[in-house]
Amino acid sequence: MIDGSETMGEALLKVSDVTKTFSEVTALSTVSVDFNAGEVVGLVGGNGAGKTTLLRLLCGLYYPSSGTVQGVVDQQTVDIHKMREHVGVVPEATGLYARLTAWENIRYHSRLNGIDDEMAWARTERFAKLLNFDHDLHRSTRGFSRGMRQKTALLRALSHGPKILLLDEPTGGLDVTSARMVRKLVRKLGDEGGTVIYSTHNLAEAQQVCDRIIIIHNGTIRADGAPEELIASTETTDLEEAYVSLTEDVARTDVPAEDEGRIARAWRRLLTRGGGSSE
Amino acid sequence: MVHLSDSSIHLSRILIVAKKELVDFIRDWRTVLAMILVPLMIFPAIFIALPLFLQGEAAELSAYELTVEVQGELPDDLNSHFDGRNLVIIETELLVDGTLSVPGSDAGRLNAGGSENIHAILRLKEVESNASQSWNYAIISDSTNELSQEAMSRTLDAVLTWEREVVNATLAENNLTYAEAWDPIHWDGDQADADVASGGDLAAMGLAMFIPLVVAMWTATAAIQPSIDLTAGERERGTMEALLCTPTARSDLLFGKWLAVAAVACASVLGQMAGLLFAINFLTGGGLEAPSISTTGVLLLLLSVILFAIFVVAMELAVAVRAHSVREAGSILGPMVLIFIGPTLFAQFVNLQGIEAWWFVLPVFNITLAMREALMGIYDPMHIFLWLSTSLLYAIGAIWWASKQFNREDLVESLS
Repeated sequence: MIDGSETMGEALLKVSDVTKTFSEVTALSTVSVDFNAGEVVGLVGGNGAGKTTLLRLLCGLYYPSSGTVQGVVDQQTVDIHKMREHVGVVPEATGLYARLTAWENIRYHSRLNGIDDEMAWARTERFAKLLNFDHDLHRSTRGFSRGMRQKTALLRALSHGPKILLLDEPTGGLDVTSARMVRKLVRKLGDEGGTVIYSTHNLAEAQQVCDRIIIIHNGTIRADGAPEELIASTETTDLEEAYVSLTEDVARTDVPAEDEGRIARAWRRLLTRGGGSSE
Repeated sequence: MVHLSDSSIHLSRILIVAKKELVDFIRDWRTVLAMILVPLMIFPAIFIALPLFLQGEAAELSAYELTVEVQGELPDDLNSHFDGRNLVIIETELLVDGTLSVPGSDAGRLNAGGSENIHAILRLKEVESNASQSWNYAIISDSTNELSQEAMSRTLDAVLTWEREVVNATLAENNLTYAEAWDPIHWDGDQADADVASGGDLAAMGLAMFIPLVVAMWTATAAIQPSIDLTAGERERGTMEALLCTPTARSDLLFGKWLAVAAVACASVLGQMAGLLFAINFLTGGGLEAPSISTTGVLLLLLSVILFAIFVVAMELAVAVRAHSVREAGSILGPMVLIFIGPTLFAQFVNLQGIEAWWFVLPVFNITLAMREALMGIYDPMHIFLWLSTSLLYAIGAIWWASKQFNREDLVESLS
């Protein structure tokens, strides 16, 4: 089970005044938020809102341009990179090796997390049964459906017993049954005291699964609270209306692009009609 | 959970990564074919199978009965040499007035459109001279037609045998033998006996011509595909992001991947060397002697190969990490191989006697020359110091650069 040994309600991850820029694009602007033990938190926002950037900051893949992202272990504030072994991540792309079986994919990550195979197998088997996936663990992931891939990635993220689970669009592209199964598992983890941070653009799903919802729009946090609180504070009747009222300004279109390098940029500009730039 | 020291954890994680990557490679039959079987078979295929195939083709050609038209008077001596060559001889009158080599109207009779089924024409004309007899001749043939070429070859062989007889007859009239007239100053005994180099020395020299080239070429080419697969490939497939979320240090991931790529590249190089030695041994009828290389030479050779592999694999990994896609990585690394192969080829022709010390400082050149010297049993302390220190420097530099690339923030991006 996800490790819920931390005192409920205590902050596990602290984001303070974080700004993250890529070249000339500001993906997140002075964001401050704490993620507490025992919460299922939904990060809700449109495409390019900054959800994935925030998740990547939380698992130490990105460095903030300014501000700090820290973890709390045994009531001590630590650098986010020292939290890695306490965090389980399911990226949007799932990231499975096609020539390995589902269990081999899971075992590879649990070994890198320093967990012995027996313990990892015990955890994996237990969660696999909940996902009705235990009979597929020894199958090669080549040819797995999106749902099966997502389940494998979820089991991989849970195999080392993390304190926090970070899920990036975990139900994106899943059929109704698989999506429901994933939501059920997340809710179960939350009910058992686990901490889950769940990125989605599906409001109904967020309302169904999460204790707390953070609405991100154009790189800033527009609202943070329980679904009922968001509805009440915006004087609307449902979460969708609350979301619309909080994000009335036009969504930006300049999503962060990968830095292609000085020479490549200069070359592209030279050969692009009119010498235009996409930045 | 077992508690390990920091260095044990790093080593353990490096080995976990390397092991997983090797399992991944081995499960892909195309990789095994390209990296292990092809290198193993390529030299036997070139040196053994190809000559055997060519022999078979030549035998097939020699089984054909071919027609040669002899224009002019055919001397009995020459006629006897056509026997046993599977030729049908048709004698006709010589109608050419000028130079015999000019085909004239006979061209149409020989080329592909010809209907007379004549494969070659021998023109003969006796001329006055002081020799016992003297003739002008020409063989008209079509160089684009295999049967015509074969007919020309058999006819020429018969004519040259006959010529030798004519020369001998002329010499005999002057009380001379062929050897006296054509080889008055000759080597006494077998030239090979006069060489003081042992069979082992010769084998080592032969290997010095091949090994550096094989090592450079195959290390560079064999590392390309796995380097791309483990970096740009992982980015494109989205597996890199999940991997970077584990507590494993990026340097450990890089070293694990490096170890796997280097192992595959080394297996490839060894396979190719084994194939090469087998082919050479086969061609020399099993007479290949073990090369005379001292333990120092073997150690220096191994050291140079290892340093070269560290350098090349790290460079290729770094370039592949920088690439935005598998396709881009392939298009950069393909031509980049020439950077390694070019100097190696060049360095093969540098004279080792009196070589300037600065050669042993230049990247790639230094390793090639080091391998050559090690194989030839030349141990110059200054040369060894120079290539060892500079190669180490280049290897560390390449690893540093690869490590820097592997720490890039955008490495997590999935580009597909």
